[in-house]
Amino acid sequence: MKKTILVCCGTGCIAGGSLAVAAALKEKISELNADAAVETGIKQTGCNGFCEHGPIVKIMPDDISYYRVRVKDTAEIIGNLGKKPVERLLYRDDAGKRVKSQMENPFYATQKKLVLRNIGDIDPGNINDYIFRGGYEALKKALSTPPEDIISEVEKSGLRGRGGAGFPTGRKWRIAAGYDNFPKYVIMNGDEGDPGAFMDRSILEGDPHSVLEGIAICALAIGASEGFLYIREEYPLALRNVKKALADAENAGILGDSIFNSGKSLHLSVVRGGGAFVCGESTAMITSIEGGIGQPRAKYLYPTEQGLWNKPTVMNNVETFSNIPLIIGDGGAKFAEIGTENSKGTKVFALVGKIRRSGLVEVPMGTTLREIIFDIGGGIPGERRFKAVQIGGPSGGCLPESLLDVSVDFDTLLSYGAMMGSGGMIVMDERTCMVEVAKYNVEFLAKECCGTCVPCREGLRKLLDILTKICGGTGDNADLEMVESICEALKETSRCGLGKTAANPVLTSLKYFPGEYEEHIAQKRCKAGVCGMGEAK
Amino acid sequence: MNIQIDGKTCIAEPGESILETARRNNIDIPSLCHHEALPGLACCRLCVVEIEDATGNRLVVASCVYPVAESVTVYTNTEKIKKHRRTNLTLLAGHVPEVKGVLLAYCREYGVIRDDSHMKAVVKEKCILCGLCVTACEALGNSAIQMAMRGIDRVVAPPFNEPSLNCIGCASCARVCPTDAIDCESVSGNRKIWGKTFSLVKCAACGEPYATVDELDWLKGKLLDTELNLAYCPNCRRRVSVNTGK
Ligand SMILES: Cc1cc2nc3c(=O)[nH]c(=O)nc-3n(C[C@H](O)[C@H](O)[C@H](O)COP(=O)(O)O)c2cc1C
Ligand code: SF4
Ligand code: SF4
Ligand code: FES
Ligand code: FES
Repeated sequence: MKKTILVCCGTGCIAGGSLAVAAALKEKISELNADAAVETGIKQTGCNGFCEHGPIVKIMPDDISYYRVRVKDTAEIIGNLGKKPVERLLYRDDAGKRVKSQMENPFYATQKKLVLRNIGDIDPGNINDYIFRGGYEALKKALSTPPEDIISEVEKSGLRGRGGAGFPTGRKWRIAAGYDNFPKYVIMNGDEGDPGAFMDRSILEGDPHSVLEGIAICALAIGASEGFLYIREEYPLALRNVKKALADAENAGILGDSIFNSGKSLHLSVVRGGGAFVCGESTAMITSIEGGIGQPRAKYLYPTEQGLWNKPTVMNNVETFSNIPLIIGDGGAKFAEIGTENSKGTKVFALVGKIRRSGLVEVPMGTTLREIIFDIGGGIPGERRFKAVQIGGPSGGCLPESLLDVSVDFDTLLSYGAMMGSGGMIVMDERTCMVEVAKYNVEFLAKECCGTCVPCREGLRKLLDILTKICGGTGDNADLEMVESICEALKETSRCGLGKTAANPVLTSLKYFPGEYEEHIAQKRCKAGVCGMGEAK
Repeated sequence: MNIQIDGKTCIAEPGESILETARRNNIDIPSLCHHEALPGLACCRLCVVEIEDATGNRLVVASCVYPVAESVTVYTNTEKIKKHRRTNLTLLAGHVPEVKGVLLAYCREYGVIRDDSHMKAVVKEKCILCGLCVTACEALGNSAIQMAMRGIDRVVAPPFNEPSLNCIGCASCARVCPTDAIDCESVSGNRKIWGKTFSLVKCAACGEPYATVDELDWLKGKLLDTELNLAYCPNCRRRVSVNTGK
């Protein structure tokens, strides 16, 4: 029977040597007898999400997953094709048993792959792989659907933006569609500035066509015929795969001058973002695409009304767009079956930090933190205790152990002072000092904000000074009052979302770990042993 | 259009900002970065006010850029607003130890006791990074200075921090600066600004130095028939043109 060998060639596995592994496997296949060689295909895929155990090699249809594969293992892998799997390359589950299938691996067992539906199974450089799995069918369907109905379907799905604030996607499209002001634009936000996050990178690398299809459907719905794909410079593989996908789709007549010969056109260009974290903010990104300095706009105007070059513009996140073909293909109602009352579908998280199994995780909205961190992630390594998890990137909140059973969805996270953000999830163990974590985040934001408005620039400067003092053992209680005033001013008087959310890590650490501030201030002690006391910096 | 500000019915022009409407109606809102000729910087956040929509929802906005709308009621001086202004003034005053002028007046008004004990005193720092100078220079078409760096490292500087080719020494930046932060010296017929020295031209009538050579060259390039007038300073020019009818 025909076998397909899938070699993971995402950024993580490439760093681990997967390109050499793929080359060695090809060579070993060519050495097989003619019949067997023809029967054995090899494919380079995008990221399987478990990079730390890479390079990953999968054998289909036998459903065997090998981890940490080296060039020296390739002869045995090919030699064992159709026979017994190579035992030592299989994953060892929590009970110590070697498991063959990906779905027996506890990291994958309870995940629900909607957005990541194709990644790891298709060759992102081959448009036919995508089409073979039903790709671009939703776009065809959208072509024969009135824009109004496309938008209704997206509204029905309950999809909310995956890039930050969770704004309802359908509503955003409807607003932009409502303006009779052409040309209109569609922008894909692939800036992914959260340190440690790589959800969008993996989607762009591993399944670029799903994103392009989502963008094309959006363009049809709002009446745009031009768009921009903003991808950060540090993502060379994502840039390359997206550019190839775009060229292939245009050559196939799927995008470009006439989408599937409909006479409707869509021209997309790739923009490299070399900018700061703040360039991920929508109006800063728009200014940056227009050629200006990436700094948020002052005006109270929504891009849906006056965006790029003051024309109606829809900006969505990479993951948001990737959900669209599913919604149009299978219907909004089906999509809405997954998730919670107000947060539908799944969310991809980059689970990192002090955790046994780290990687890219996709779960239905409403899954608890405990399920993600302990069932999928396998908990904290080395018998240490869990202390906190930071969700939502550098301006997300830090939630304590007592909140491990809350549901991960937009509104619940917000109600506890954290936020979904774009899906960064950093797990911390008992050796972490929460004051120091707050300081670290404040320092990042102080350097990465644009520096335009006073509460953000000066507020973060002062917060950093105060937190440095507290960590150095010279803080006092008056400082804490100032911290509170600054946090309030940040939230309410900052110009953009960066400043408005910048207080989250400080406020949550004060709220859930007040004792640590007290210890640092009154006893000049850092229980976690992180802060060098007495050496005020 | 009518709009309620602090309980007073004010007449507003469509398209103007809450700040403009309020000031025309004699309601004072503090501001550092707002300049009638160069609106839209919206960075000092002293002009914040609370607005209330028809359903009673309240929101804090920057009045210098928030457009007036009949459906909102504005409160410019609530406890919350006063507290935010005090915080933002404290932060600014902490960064610019030599608080002077309008900033100092606001600090007094809002009871801000300058406390820079936490701040690594930024010696002689006066710039509050409002951006007015950059915008003024840009509006004249020269763009000789810019906001360099981001975040807390932000500074106003000529490109690459070297004397700018575009600078004509007109000192528009220094004039518009609310805190006198730009060093601009005029001694013995020269003006020094942004690391460049310019020769000053004396008025043909009163003899006062009134512009730099580069500035006049630049003006000549912009205007058509002004050879004569440019020999005088603006004051004398007015007089001369009245007398000669030119
Ligand atoms: C400081 C800041 C950084 C942001 N960074 C990103 C980012 O990296 N990627 C992203 O998709 N959205 C980012 N956003 C959110 C965007 O402004 C915008 O809301 C989003 O792209 C809209 O798409 P969505 O509705 O699909 O989420 C950021 C927002 C702020 C305030
Ligand atoms: S809140 Fe921060 S990032 Fe946003 S405009 Fe103000 S200074 Fe810039
Ligand atoms: S130099 Fe003056 S005008 Fe320029 S940014 Fe600083 S305070 Fe504003
Ligand atoms: S790159 Fe292979 S698992 Fe992520
Ligand atoms: S006057 Fe409005 S922000 Fe400065």
